[in-house]
Amino acid sequence: MIVFRHVDKVYPNGFVGLRDVSLQIEQGEFVAIIGLSGAGKSTLIRSINRMHDITGGELTVDDADVRSLKGKELRRFRRKIGMIFQSFNLVTRTTVIKNVLTSFVPDLPFWRVLFGIFPQEAKIRSLEALDKVGILEKAYVRVDQLSGGQQQRVALARTLAQDPSIILADEPVAALDPVTAKQVMDDFRRVNQAMNISVLINIHHVELALEYADRIIGIREGEIVFDGPVSEVNEKVLSDIYAGKLEEVI
Amino acid sequence: MSLYSRVIKPKSLILGNGKVVDEPRSKAPLVIVLFCIASLISIKITGFDMAVMFSRGGQFLVILRKMVPPEFAYMPKIWQPLFDTIKMSLLGSFVGAVLAVPFAVVASSNIVKNRFVIVFVRLLLSIVRTLPTLVTALIATYIFGLGTLAGTIAIAVFTFAYVGKLLYEEIETVDMGPFEAMQAMGANKGRSFMYAIIPQVLPSYLSNCLFCFEGNVRYASILGYVGAGGLGLILNEKIGWREYTKVGMILVMLFATVVIIETFSHWLRSKLT
Repeated sequence: MIVFRHVDKVYPNGFVGLRDVSLQIEQGEFVAIIGLSGAGKSTLIRSINRMHDITGGELTVDDADVRSLKGKELRRFRRKIGMIFQSFNLVTRTTVIKNVLTSFVPDLPFWRVLFGIFPQEAKIRSLEALDKVGILEKAYVRVDQLSGGQQQRVALARTLAQDPSIILADEPVAALDPVTAKQVMDDFRRVNQAMNISVLINIHHVELALEYADRIIGIREGEIVFDGPVSEVNEKVLSDIYAGKLEEVI
Repeated sequence: MSLYSRVIKPKSLILGNGKVVDEPRSKAPLVIVLFCIASLISIKITGFDMAVMFSRGGQFLVILRKMVPPEFAYMPKIWQPLFDTIKMSLLGSFVGAVLAVPFAVVASSNIVKNRFVIVFVRLLLSIVRTLPTLVTALIATYIFGLGTLAGTIAIAVFTFAYVGKLLYEEIETVDMGPFEAMQAMGANKGRSFMYAIIPQVLPSYLSNCLFCFEGNVRYASILGYVGAGGLGLILNEKIGWREYTKVGMILVMLFATVVIIETFSHWLRSKLT
């Protein structure tokens, strides 16, 4: 369970990223966060695993106070939160399996990390993760040989190998074509339903958000302007979220 | 509008629909004129004289002709210095390339955020790079005595500075995305670096090391001039005694060695990328 209580984020240059954000996200929810570029979607998602620090309020994830974590505690805390990026963030010069295996690097003894000798169990778990996203046969192929959609699946497999309870996805389909985007969204849905992993997605495509998510959070200039189930989203709500620029979205 | 366009008016192109596009004039004529002026000045300053070139240039061939045919009987005496040269460059390149790694990491602005540390390490690398290898070798012979150890150290110092610079430039251009992903997964900075940055820079690092090694074989062959061991030692001696057939033999062996090493290294580097 993720709880925001009156969270603020002000960047060092004075830009307000988040303003008095309060929300509660239960385990296993599929949440889409929508809003204009620069509205604070990324800031919201990245404050959950402390890739960004918040400057006010209280944020707890499964009863852990995120603001007070540091060093080793913070790294252990991040182990159970997966993250997916717009540009996949894979090492494209190596094979798929090596990318997935990196999710074990934080926990392995140092000599194994140094020489890159992974235990059998890690290899099997990595292959199983690849199987879950349907690209097992690509395990020993170099990442730069894969399409964008396949690369995002490798990234998802890397996150699954970490066995997270929450997945944060920052614009996961923005770099993909519409068909591939749907396939990747299907993967997220499957992971969410089959494994009860909470999924929080930042997304520009409103129609994908409405189709896949259970709950929509609309954010405008750092403030939550809508928070509710998909069924309550209508034209007026969207117009409010997108500050009257709705025509440009749909 | 840039200063250049203000001085030399752009050419106006008129499209079918009446729109006007200003095409900036080419800078090539200006560059050519400046280049010619610079060449004339340097000929004046260095006292380069075409007449001397024509009248004395033929002497190159005289010496070359004296080297032919190379004295094959001298070959057995060349093997030892030749291997010394190769050993110096191989060991020196290896030591220098390994030592360069930590320094290059610390000199990379995307890894280390402290400006002072970065500037300090880069300055160190530039100073070391400015030292000609021959001078380093000479200093090394004062410290470690005459012989191949001094040569090895000179080669290592040069390789360190050269590979170090190339490596930190390489590290600065990597995609930081995987590093961010590793951090988000809960890896510390060191482990993130090992698994996100190293795989990206390793092929070009190895390729640079090999390229540097190729060059080092050639440098190492003259280090004997200052007493640092290897081929240079006998090369200096035989030129001094005007035994040009032996000099010819040494050059032929050096040439063959360099070609073999370069071919092998070229093949290896083509496999790396």
